[in-house]
Amino acid sequence: MMMEELDLLKKNWHKDSHLQNMFSEEDIYAMLQKKSSSVVKWIFYISLFEFGLGIVASFLLSLTKANDEGTKLLKKIGLYEFNLVLNVVIYSVVLFFIYRFYKMYSRINSEKNVKDLINSILKTRKVVKQYIAFNLTTLAIIIVFFGSYGISESYSIIASKNGELHSEMPIHLLLLGVLILILIATFITVIAWFIYKLLYGILLKRLNRNYDELKKLDF
Amino acid sequence: MSTELERIFVSHLKTNQNIIHKICRLYVSGDDAHKDLFQEITIQLWNAFPKFRGDSKFSTWAYRVALNTAITLYRKSKRSIQTIGYEKQEFFINHEDYNYEEEEQLKLLYKAVYQLNDIEKALVFMYLEDKDYTEISATLGISEVNARVKMNRIKGKLKKILNP
Repeated sequence: MMMEELDLLKKNWHKDSHLQNMFSEEDIYAMLQKKSSSVVKWIFYISLFEFGLGIVASFLLSLTKANDEGTKLLKKIGLYEFNLVLNVVIYSVVLFFIYRFYKMYSRINSEKNVKDLINSILKTRKVVKQYIAFNLTTLAIIIVFFGSYGISESYSIIASKNGELHSEMPIHLLLLGVLILILIATFITVIAWFIYKLLYGILLKRLNRNYDELKKLDF
Repeated sequence: MSTELERIFVSHLKTNQNIIHKICRLYVSGDDAHKDLFQEITIQLWNAFPKFRGDSKFSTWAYRVALNTAITLYRKSKRSIQTIGYEKQEFFINHEDYNYEEEEQLKLLYKAVYQLNDIEKALVFMYLEDKDYTEISATLGISEVNARVKMNRIKGKLKKILNP
């Protein structure tokens, strides 16, 4: 008669104290000098990179000539103050994201129970995901907003060069332009989000799987 | 130069390394992967060590951090992704009371356990370590009843793998 499977294992489990690859104190000291390659460390660096990318992008944008012209345009159409406020709002939101990320990250603790540990890692990542979503949305809005303005401006310039009486862009053409811009912005955002979700999914595959398994246990 | 804390830690870990080896064996296969995971667990334990109060046994504290590392934090490096080989299991066998039939059964058993998912392996580990369900449920973060139910399911699953 076969013994209950696990009990056979249990019987032998406590016996094998004569392990062949026991490490010496020197081995353990050497290990302490090594760097961790844990997923949390990866997540931390990747998140920093993503935050950095967003900030550098905004900074570069504010340095370009396009932005100078943008300022002039904004002043002309009386949106300069609005744009300033918008910038303040954007940077406050970014700071808020970084603060939330820091708080979530500091909650990751290897002494927690498995479920809480995975949960805290996933939540930390979620903050970065929301940050990326926020950036993509802002980018899409900027494309549509400034793009429409650019279209109508260029139309006026060309029209007045051609000596047309009404250099204003006809409303239906402008609407068509805006529609195309919205489509382009949506397309870019969706593709970027898709790629991001794919990378994100690969990064968190194992964590999600184990978290789902634990959640399933507690239905 | 090593600090006093480091000395205490290393001595604790050296004495209690058996439990870490047992976890490594359940989660990875192959000597390189075994050492790789052991090293990551060591680093995680060392990072958490300042918080170790000493009111629980070092081994009790360490196995939780070790399980968390194996389940959650450890990122398998490419070289460690291998299928389980028979050579590996030789190393579980106690040669003093060699029993051919039992040894064959054990090999199959380890192979079956290796096929379980990360969470199931943790349950099996704690079961083998004689942890009670209060402890098991607290370590995983699930209810005691569900830990019990899951353990019974795992036994069933192992039976199925072994007697298809």
